[in-house]
Amino acid sequence: MEIYELSASDLAKKLRAKELSASEITKSVLSRAENTEEEVGGYVTLTSEKAMETAAKVDEKIAAGEEILPLAGIPIAVKDNICTKDLRTTASSKILSNFVPPYNATVVEKLEAQMAPIVGKTNMDEFAMGSSTETSYVKKTHNPRDLNRVPGGSSGGSAAVVAAGSATVSLGSDTGGSIRQPAAYCGVVGLKPTYGTVSRYGLIAFASSLDQIGPFGRTVTDTAMVFEAIRGRDKKDATTAARTYESLVQNLETPLPKGTRIGLPKEYFGEGVDEEVKEAVHAAAQLYEKAGMELVEISLPTTDYGLNAYYIIASAEASSNLSRFDGVKYGYRTEEYGNLEEMYCRTRSEGFGDEVKRRIMLGTFVLSSGYIDAYYKKAKAIQRGLRQEFVDAFQKVDLILTPTTPDTAFTLGERSDDPLKMYATDICTVTLNLAGLPGISVPCGMGKSGLPIGLQLISPWFEEEKLLRAARFYENEIGGFPGVASL
Amino acid sequence: MEIDVRRIAELSKLELKEEQVEMFQKQMQNMVDMVEKMPEVAELEAPLDRNNAMILRKDEIHSSLRREDLLKNAPQVEAGCFVVPKVVE
Repeated sequence: MEIYELSASDLAKKLRAKELSASEITKSVLSRAENTEEEVGGYVTLTSEKAMETAAKVDEKIAAGEEILPLAGIPIAVKDNICTKDLRTTASSKILSNFVPPYNATVVEKLEAQMAPIVGKTNMDEFAMGSSTETSYVKKTHNPRDLNRVPGGSSGGSAAVVAAGSATVSLGSDTGGSIRQPAAYCGVVGLKPTYGTVSRYGLIAFASSLDQIGPFGRTVTDTAMVFEAIRGRDKKDATTAARTYESLVQNLETPLPKGTRIGLPKEYFGEGVDEEVKEAVHAAAQLYEKAGMELVEISLPTTDYGLNAYYIIASAEASSNLSRFDGVKYGYRTEEYGNLEEMYCRTRSEGFGDEVKRRIMLGTFVLSSGYIDAYYKKAKAIQRGLRQEFVDAFQKVDLILTPTTPDTAFTLGERSDDPLKMYATDICTVTLNLAGLPGISVPCGMGKSGLPIGLQLISPWFEEEKLLRAARFYENEIGGFPGVASL
Repeated sequence: MEIDVRRIAELSKLELKEEQVEMFQKQMQNMVDMVEKMPEVAELEAPLDRNNAMILRKDEIHSSLRREDLLKNAPQVEAGCFVVPKVVE
């Protein structure tokens, strides 16, 4: 087995046993990136030099007999909408193509404190708006499990590099499924934490009430290690919850008690979900039942309006958040303009791609005078109804199990011209963002065309430990997830 | 609901190329048709989560980023200020 194929938890053990050095680990992952990037295209920027410097510091610490933190020496990739000081951060948009943040996002500060070598910034849909990473201004990313297919999105780069072995773990962001959907398509694990668990300071805002940063890994334990390192209250983000967290990773091997009730909401297994996906997810559910857990059919009827409410609320917030891109304070400015108004309009029209324009326009429309009640306020009412349904459901069950996506990865270009078809892939994931709930996607076998299927587990708010233990149980039962893709 | 994409673009401070207006009009119309299918639902109170409160920081002055670092990304700067086209005639 090559070094880049090892999990973060194995690498951490080998580092401490001095079987491997941090420099050897980072070097192996970086050379894997060099060998696969041409085919995969997961990175916007590779930061090899800086990563090797961090790894060398970890080795010095180990040589001096000092304690190191759990992610020390573990190569990690960071989505390109997360600000990195003095390192270009583009959100895969032309309008930020020359933006060099003067500060770090809080999660990046935490990774640096851990001494995790950051190997690069990953490609994404422009401003995280998309489900295939095809709206990126920078490049296309290919799914390492089948290079003709999309990696999903918007965190497609972060999922693809973990699947390709050109990063051991990574960070993405999830506003409507942007971590879980690409995790499902690329056959890796992706966690969207409870809203308010991970600081959004330094995350380029899309829809602030829905956005949440979260980790990718090839195993549940690796994903949990990153989550444990990045969560916590942050004075710079008032929406982070004021609470303390129990340690997590050491508890993952504790099985869930017999009699744990797992809800299967019928709305997530309806029309529009591929048969092979339903079968795979039901087979997974049966493993829980065999272990003494109880499967309960539940109903979350407002799910049917989840996409509607999501696209209204997310676009409304985006239209407001993206008004800051005006060619004055940072980013691209158009070359020819007569007055201020013209400068704004041309800068934005030249700087944003079509999908971003559509979302800004939808958001502007639903907030505009005369329409706000019929669209935005109604969507907010549906959001509250949906949240209440989850509150009620969690009186009856401990966890909820659904498919992550209704299908498997589609081919590049297949849905680019049809926004609605693209949006439909988010149908099982957007409801969690609307409710602020945590969810994890884990690989759940392969479909007929040899493409990964994703299983989504949902727990009550702030109960990520239960969620990760349930995911770890499944991983164990099936004898582990697919590792690095052969490329 | 029929929409006027030119008007929405104007409100959004976007200029659409003439050859793109038809495409955007159609796509935006489809999007609006999709999202507007929502039932009437009773307005629920937004519940406050007392166990996981969000706390505003105190209104205190702290040192922050340096002015020159913040201005580094601006397209045009003069004497420590952002430069924009003349606004007042």
